[in-house]
Amino acid sequence: MSKVTRFIVPATTLTALLALMLTLAPSFAGVADAKTPAPQASAEQPVFAQLSQFTTIQGAAAAMTKTAVKVSLLFVWIIAAVVVTLFAGREVRYSSVEVRASALYCFALGLVAFTSFVITAIVFSYLVPYVVGVPLLSALAVFAILTKVYGMISIFHAVGSLVAGSRTRAQLDRRRWFRGDLAMVIAGVVVLGAIRLIPVAGTIVWSLASVFGIGTALATRFGRRDPAFLAWRPAQA
Amino acid sequence: MKTPDCERYIEDPEANASHLETCEECRALFGAEAAVRAPRIDVNALPLASWEGAQHRSWPLVTAAALAIFAIAAALFAASGVSPADALAANVPTLSRLQALVGLMRQAPAMVVGVLFVVVNTLLIALLRRSPKGLSRGLDV
Repeated sequence: MSKVTRFIVPATTLTALLALMLTLAPSFAGVADAKTPAPQASAEQPVFAQLSQFTTIQGAAAAMTKTAVKVSLLFVWIIAAVVVTLFAGREVRYSSVEVRASALYCFALGLVAFTSFVITAIVFSYLVPYVVGVPLLSALAVFAILTKVYGMISIFHAVGSLVAGSRTRAQLDRRRWFRGDLAMVIAGVVVLGAIRLIPVAGTIVWSLASVFGIGTALATRFGRRDPAFLAWRPAQA
Repeated sequence: MKTPDCERYIEDPEANASHLETCEECRALFGAEAAVRAPRIDVNALPLASWEGAQHRSWPLVTAAALAIFAIAAALFAASGVSPADALAANVPTLSRLQALVGLMRQAPAMVVGVLFVVVNTLLIALLRRSPKGLSRGLDV
C-alpha cells in the first residue's frame, strides 16, 4: 500500500463518518429554523425499546410480523442474487475477491460513497422546484439501488466463500452440489439473512454489509475492472 | 546415443532423469539443459483459485433454500395473522414519506451542505482512482 493510500483511507473513513453524523444529526433542523419544532429523533427506537418489545403479546406479534417481512425480503434477495449471479457470475466473483483482498479500502469507499449519495441527494433536492431536479434525483436513486443490490450480492458471495468455500482441491472434488458461485451466494444470503433477524446486531451487521457492498461495487466498477478515469498523457512525436 | 536407454531418455527426460548420471554422451548433450529445466509443479500443492469449480450450478441447493425461506415467511405470516400484502405495504416507503425525508434533508444549512458536497465528492474521486488489488494479491478470479 502506498504512502498516499495509507494516509487517505483512514482519513477518509474518519471524515466520512463525521460528515455522515453531521448530515444525519436531528439537531440540524433546530439550527436551521428555530421556529419550526425539531422533528422526532427518528423512526428508529432506542436499543432498550427494541429489546423490550418482546415482553408484551402485542410486541411479540409485531416482532413476528417484522420478522416475516424480513424473511420475505430475503426471498426477494435470493431471486435477485440467482439472476445476477447467472448473468454476471465472473463479475460478482471478482468483486467478492476484491472485498476479501482490500476490506478496509472497500469499507472506506463504501462509507464515502454512501455519504456522497446522501449529500448529493440533498443538493439535488434543492433543484426539485426546477425541472432538472426530479430526473437527477431519480437517476441518483436508480444508481444507488443498483450499486447496493450488486454490492450486496458480492458480499453474499464473499461471506459464502469465507464460511463454506472449499479450502483444498480435494475438498472441492468431494463436493457434489455445494460448490460454485451460485452455492456460495446462496450460503451468504442464508448466513447474513439469519444474522439480520437478530434484533439489534442484525441491523448493524446488515448495514455494515451494505457499506462494504457499495464499496466493492464501486471499487471494481461492478466487477468489470475498467479504469474509473482515463489517464491523460501528452502525445509524443 | 545408440542405446535404448538413450532413446527412452529423449522420449521422456523427466521420467528417465537418472540416465544422465550413467551416460556421458547424453550428459554432454543435455546436461546443461536438464540443469535449467523447471522442476515439475505439483498442482495439488498450489492454493485453490477462486475460479476453480465456480461454473458449477447447484440447482437443488438454490431450490431448497428458496423454498425453505418461502415456507418460513408463509408460516410467520400465518402465525401473526397479518396479510403479507398489508405487511409489505406498511414497510415500503411511500411517496409522502419520501417527500417528508426530502423536506427534512433540506433543513440542513446550505453552506454546510455545499462544503460537504465538494469535500466528500473530492474524496470519492480520489478513492476511485486507485485500481483494484484483488488480482495483484494472488487471488485469481
